[in-house]
Amino acid sequence: MIDVIWATLPFLFVGLWMTFKISIVTIFFGSILGAAIGLLRTMNVLAVNLILGAYIHTLRGTPFLIHLYIVYFILPTTGISWLQLEAFPAAVIALSMYTSTYVAEIVRAAIQAVPRGQSEAARSVGMTALQAMWYVVLPQAAKLMIPPMGGIYVIIIKGTSIVSVIGIAELVRAGEHATQRHPRELMLIYGMVALMYFAYCYPVLRLARWAEGKFGTMDTTG
Amino acid sequence: MDWLAGFYNYRIVIQYLPEFGYGLWATIWISAISMVLALSLGTVVAIMRMSPNPFLWRIAAGYVQAIRSTPLLVQIYVIYFALGPLPLLGRRLDELEGGILALGLNAGAFMSEIIRAGIESVEKGQIEGAQSVGMTYLQRMRYVVLPQAIARVIPPLLGQTAVLIKDSSLVSFIGVFELFGAGLFVYSERLKPNEGYLTVAACYLVIYFVMMHLANFAQRRLGGAGQ
Repeated sequence: MIDVIWATLPFLFVGLWMTFKISIVTIFFGSILGAAIGLLRTMNVLAVNLILGAYIHTLRGTPFLIHLYIVYFILPTTGISWLQLEAFPAAVIALSMYTSTYVAEIVRAAIQAVPRGQSEAARSVGMTALQAMWYVVLPQAAKLMIPPMGGIYVIIIKGTSIVSVIGIAELVRAGEHATQRHPRELMLIYGMVALMYFAYCYPVLRLARWAEGKFGTMDTTG
Repeated sequence: MDWLAGFYNYRIVIQYLPEFGYGLWATIWISAISMVLALSLGTVVAIMRMSPNPFLWRIAAGYVQAIRSTPLLVQIYVIYFALGPLPLLGRRLDELEGGILALGLNAGAFMSEIIRAGIESVEKGQIEGAQSVGMTYLQRMRYVVLPQAIARVIPPLLGQTAVLIKDSSLVSFIGVFELFGAGLFVYSERLKPNEGYLTVAACYLVIYFVMMHLANFAQRRLGGAGQ
């Protein structure tokens, strides 16, 4: 048993490194996209709200697996050359879009949690709407966004397990390969994979809990 | 129109309508059984989590943390590939049982947190009031705490069920034929990803909208009564 652990561990760490890379790239792009969507939704322009609402509900209403297959298998069938994606960019794009719906809700909830009087006061001393948003509302809202972002990062890490199905050699895929070499040690190998995800996600969740105490919570269901 | 017919040929969808119908039905009943499992488990775990006995609440908290910190796909693999062959029942867990068990265990952790939050949201004054008119513990639970808690947890539990239905697509990877499996089937038989996956996506979207309206309806009906 020890020799199987010893033989498998290096491969699993290679997989974990890929999981780490995808999750870091995804939280970067997903946050940018989600912040843009969340900000646009607080402007209350009807047409923009309808389009972004449709985007969010479509992504929320279908499994991530479907998004992945659409980006990886269906976009190439349109025949447009720049939509023929490799597995890694396809995974990052699908995962970033999925992430953006969560980030958008958090950004919107955080901005709405800042009392209206703050932006009204900023406008009354002569700031433009953009200045009031940038210098007064966003700095206060940003604090509220920090704790739930931990939860989002864990959602991303768990989401990366699914991109194994388009052939990316991340942690689950590395585990599958290892089980082909040691077909009698399924429980051990998948147990190690689960433990590695736990070791990655649990500290993030604890950090988010700690941040809740420090920066406060808000209602993100609205 | 030629381009559209090449992109999405509805005739193929009509030809495979029985498979899609069967898959949709399988998704619905797999989710329903998993939800019943998750609700029962979630209720027990929520009660354990609120217990003053450190042994009980530590087990409950550990279970919730373990589920929240690992991906569902890994949970499905562990239960089906790793725990499945163990001689628990005297035979191997089949893919359907393994999948439903994994989905139930996964959703149960999230539902237990919702149920716990619902019970804890009932104000202390309500319980003290019930105590002061001489109600026993069971009476307080039956007439004061639970009616308010249930009204508050039903909308988020319906939301969690919508997540469960989407998550059930993952059991197709251990060989269960459900809605996503129908999409995979069309792709593998005709090499047409669009007719398979886009049709499946539309079905999931319809289920999601039904669930969302149900949750909103419950929120409106129960929101007033619970406050």
